Amino acid sequence: MGKRWREAFAARTVSVLSPALLLAGWELLARAGLVDVRVFSSPSRILGTLIPALLSGELLYHTWVSVCRIVLGFAAGALPGVVLGLSMGLFPFVRAALQPMVAVTFPIPKLAIMPLILLVFGLGETSKVFTIAVGVFYLVLINTMAGVLNIDRIYLDVARSFGASRRDFYLTVALPGALPMIFAGFKLGMGTALLLIVAAELSAARAGVGYWIWRAYDMFDIERMFSALLMMSALGFVFSYALDVLERWVIPWKPPSSSAG
Amino acid sequence: MEAAIVIRGVSKVFAGRNGLRVAALEQIDLTIGAGEFLCVVGPSGCGKTTLLRILAGLEQQSAGRVEIRSGEPGKPLTSMVFQETSIFPWLTVKDNVAYGLRMRRVPPAVQEPIVEHYLRLTGLDKFRDAYPHQLSGGMKQRVSVARAFANDPSILLLDEPFGSLDEQTRLLMQEELLRIWEAHRKTAVFVTHSIDEAIFLGDRVLVMTARPGRVKAILEVDLPRPRDLVNLRSQPAFLDLSRTIWHYLREEVRAEEHAGRKL
Ligand SMILES: Nc1ncnc2c1ncn2[C@@H]1O[C@H](COP(=O)(O)OP(=O)(O)OP(=O)(O)O)[C@@H](O)[C@H]1O
Ligand SMILES: [Mg+2]
Repeated sequence: MGKRWREAFAARTVSVLSPALLLAGWELLARAGLVDVRVFSSPSRILGTLIPALLSGELLYHTWVSVCRIVLGFAAGALPGVVLGLSMGLFPFVRAALQPMVAVTFPIPKLAIMPLILLVFGLGETSKVFTIAVGVFYLVLINTMAGVLNIDRIYLDVARSFGASRRDFYLTVALPGALPMIFAGFKLGMGTALLLIVAAELSAARAGVGYWIWRAYDMFDIERMFSALLMMSALGFVFSYALDVLERWVIPWKPPSSSAG
Repeated sequence: MEAAIVIRGVSKVFAGRNGLRVAALEQIDLTIGAGEFLCVVGPSGCGKTTLLRILAGLEQQSAGRVEIRSGEPGKPLTSMVFQETSIFPWLTVKDNVAYGLRMRRVPPAVQEPIVEHYLRLTGLDKFRDAYPHQLSGGMKQRVSVARAFANDPSILLLDEPFGSLDEQTRLLMQEELLRIWEAHRKTAVFVTHSIDEAIFLGDRVLVMTARPGRVKAILEVDLPRPRDLVNLRSQPAFLDLSRTIWHYLREEVRAEEHAGRKL
């Protein structure tokens, strides 16, 4: 036990120490005038802005606006992604019909269609939610389909030989069998959603973390910008943690992975 | 005896992706009586699984005719125990066993005692809430057997169901299978690579030729039931039969080796 425990302790210590050292180094360099605080700021200056922004509720309000857009967009993209992905995985005919369209539209950068989205949906909430939904949709769709196609044929045979209905194929074979891949898609989709929210809030937004970042940039307020970046990082952490918890809850049959930790 | 399954001139050719055609079955003629226990032996790759899959409706024969006389109305026609691990990793042992009943929309209150009965029979009752990744290979195979039995079909199709079990468990399961079969007299088609097992269990033993599988011989097993599996091995009738089947099989395996060398 001794050796393993010591190794684990050392690893834990290093992962706390290394960012702390980085921050300390940054602060020292800034104070010594070796980095330009007008561009790179310094940890103490950023904290000096972040804490009041949090306490006043201003930053939290903008975060809340972004979270709503992300959650709505994520759901609007993930749900059809799962349903279509399952259908394409289960039925060769559906796959043959939709695959070409997916293959052609998937590589288009989602940022490139933002002007089009703005034209169609206007400057309101819908355009932001839709941008995120599109990004999430493709990743979930493609992962879900791959998940179903990877299910061992034997399980489809079992379902067929026990007289499973079409609905049973979805609910007792395709969905549970593809769930691990679906979650991989969710996680990729969440990363994309965080990327897209900032871009979506660049134009025609009056609130949101992205909006906050662009405003800070306009006013060259580096500390406010960094505060928002910290908030984005926290958001990313919370969302991925939430997905992990959800995954463990919906996939209780997944053997615990040995590489964890 | 009334016929449960009539197979006439059935052939199966698989068309591979690279245009390679594999003839798995050729001109099979076979009649299986209602309530009969038929064992099937044959060299590996001779089409035993293919035959069962055709009977289960999972595969369509390329030629010939298969007729399955349905037994009791309201009951499923066939249930199959697959050769490979086929229990759903995402269902608990209990839910796996109940799968067929659930697909037939049997009310949960009716499912419950049936599932419990077969869990006890297969010695899995302590593992009812476990997931398959927590089970040994032999236990998974028992879940698969329990799932087929719980479904209460007219015809049981078993594809080397005890292949991965150790000798003691295998003997217990064979005795259990015979007990259940003697109680219900379901038609059973049982594929095995063990000559002993075929004689222990069967009313008749079908010996198949090397690929493409044809009927090489059909042998009556003239041993009284209920059978005492432990003492059966030393009876002259058992030894004779065992020798005859081995003789047929050896011819086929030799023929296959010969063909293989020529290739
Ligand atoms: N879906 C398939 N596509 C192409 N060839 C197949 C397919 N299924 C089976 N075959 C071929 O048909 C032949 C018979 O296969 P089958 O699985 O029925 O043999 P088997 O008698 O069950 O063998 P074993 O005793 O090893 O289980 C084999 O040569 C196999 O390669
Ligand atoms: Mg086989």
